[in-house]
Amino acid sequence: MSWFLKGIKRGIRTEKFPKEKPLEVAPWSTKIEGEGNVNCPTNAIEDNKWAQEKCVFCRRCFPSYKPTGDVNIFKVEKRNPTFRKSFYIYPIDVGTCGGCNLELKLLTSPQYDMSRFGIFFTNTPRHADALLVMGIMTEGMREALMRAYEAMPEPKLIILLGACAISGGLLGLPPEIKGDVRIAGCPPNPYTILKALVETKGD
Amino acid sequence: MRRKIGKLGKFCLYNDGYVECEEKIEKSAYTPAYGSFDFVYGPSAGGLMESVRLDIITFGEYIRDVIVNPYYKSRTIKIKGKEINDALLYIERINAPFTASHTIAFLMAIEKALGIEVPYELLLDRIAEIELERIRNNLLVIERLTEAAGFQVPMSSLLWLVEKVNRIIGKYFGHRYFFGVNYYGGINVEEGKIKDLEIIEKEFNELFNSLIESRIFIDRLQGNGIIKNEDSIGPAARAANLEYDARNEEIGLPYKDLGFKISTYDSADAFGRFIVRGKEIFESLNMLSRINLKKIEYTNRLAEGKAVGRVESPSGDLAYYVEVNNKGKISEIYLLSPSSINIRLFSKSMVKNIFTDLPFNWESFGIWISEIGVKFE
Repeated sequence: MSWFLKGIKRGIRTEKFPKEKPLEVAPWSTKIEGEGNVNCPTNAIEDNKWAQEKCVFCRRCFPSYKPTGDVNIFKVEKRNPTFRKSFYIYPIDVGTCGGCNLELKLLTSPQYDMSRFGIFFTNTPRHADALLVMGIMTEGMREALMRAYEAMPEPKLIILLGACAISGGLLGLPPEIKGDVRIAGCPPNPYTILKALVETKGD
Repeated sequence: MRRKIGKLGKFCLYNDGYVECEEKIEKSAYTPAYGSFDFVYGPSAGGLMESVRLDIITFGEYIRDVIVNPYYKSRTIKIKGKEINDALLYIERINAPFTASHTIAFLMAIEKALGIEVPYELLLDRIAEIELERIRNNLLVIERLTEAAGFQVPMSSLLWLVEKVNRIIGKYFGHRYFFGVNYYGGINVEEGKIKDLEIIEKEFNELFNSLIESRIFIDRLQGNGIIKNEDSIGPAARAANLEYDARNEEIGLPYKDLGFKISTYDSADAFGRFIVRGKEIFESLNMLSRINLKKIEYTNRLAEGKAVGRVESPSGDLAYYVEVNNKGKISEIYLLSPSSINIRLFSKSMVKNIFTDLPFNWESFGIWISEIGVKFE
């Protein structure tokens, strides 16, 4: 049987998220709620408040704090409806553990299928509408990051993916670049990334 | 037979122990030739999962040498002087796709150093973690091979399976990459038999058989990146009919009780590595079906000691040497990552191949750059 027919036989496997609720979400990638002061290694919990952008989801706060299953742990400060029909992203890894890279890649899996929203990856910053930065800032990638940013045409957006890129997480310092979109998590769940990207492109 | 695995800090690690040894730096045999040029790929490029630079010395088609620089995204990880469970938070983030292998090798070194007897059920939980990690990684490697070939249907079907495995891991262990799962003294796990494994087996079986029958797919792998080397590890060694596998050798985890059988092939090329990874997925599923996850704890203690912990990660031997002082803090740590060995094997195997072979050969080794460029402080 040809690959084409095999594909047809399998049928549609894409989920209806974000129109419908996400399925089978790993708890320790979602919003955390609770109370009390705990021994938090990144100070994500201070004075009974949880800062999603610092959290590395290590469970040190459990059972005082528990995951809720809510995947909306991102902040879109600037969106651009110009990108509504086609939104090209250039991902750059400036010092990751590989977790963000893999979760981002899984947006192309049939479950999420980001292309149905007109979201695509591009192999060059020249074709990119958004620069997606992952990882802590390493010395070797500093120049590559700046060159990628400068190579991009206007208008352009910066997306910071994961605790390392937003706050430095546990391992170091974040890249010196201001994010228009900040997607929390260690690593962020693909549901969280997908919803953040859909909102960023102005849908 | 005694085999050398690789450098573990100031030591040489063998399958039956470790000894202090000098660093032997292997120099490239490449000499500039008329008409050849350096094609630079990376460190940041769309086709790569991570940041790495490849210097490909070529005449335009025939490859004379490949020099891989994995140090663009080198991270310094401050771990010395930290307590064991605090150190684990950092170990988890060395290489997320291999977190179970890293944390379990680290904990096995600690437990051996401090003379702790780990409950049998906990060892079975750990096998479940490593085998789920192996299934995910092998599926991803095969997906990357189909992606390089532009095979959209198997590519999508394999990604569906990778996501499915991630959801199974997330359901039973709370986190899709095993962060916060293992700790000194126990494990965070949802008890019971792992469900939905039959779906993975059925779907993958169909895909694997279809790929083996696809001449235009296997033509890209056969004869590509041949490496039969005594220094090989993991699927690269087993694809060359070398029966090297820490699951067979390391007594720390009771693999033999689960009827573990080693998977080998005899072509020593990217095709052999693809076959070995495929066969290993079935073997891992078979072992997982015999495991009942249980939440177990053990009493930890403060003492000083030093030891090596070693596991068979999805890409081969992974080991930690750890020294703990009497305050329960890490005083020395060395890592031997499978990717650091596989990157050398990849470079050697690439010489005399052609340009278009490169992505298939690169993916077949299952290299993760994040675990190579790590410096401990």
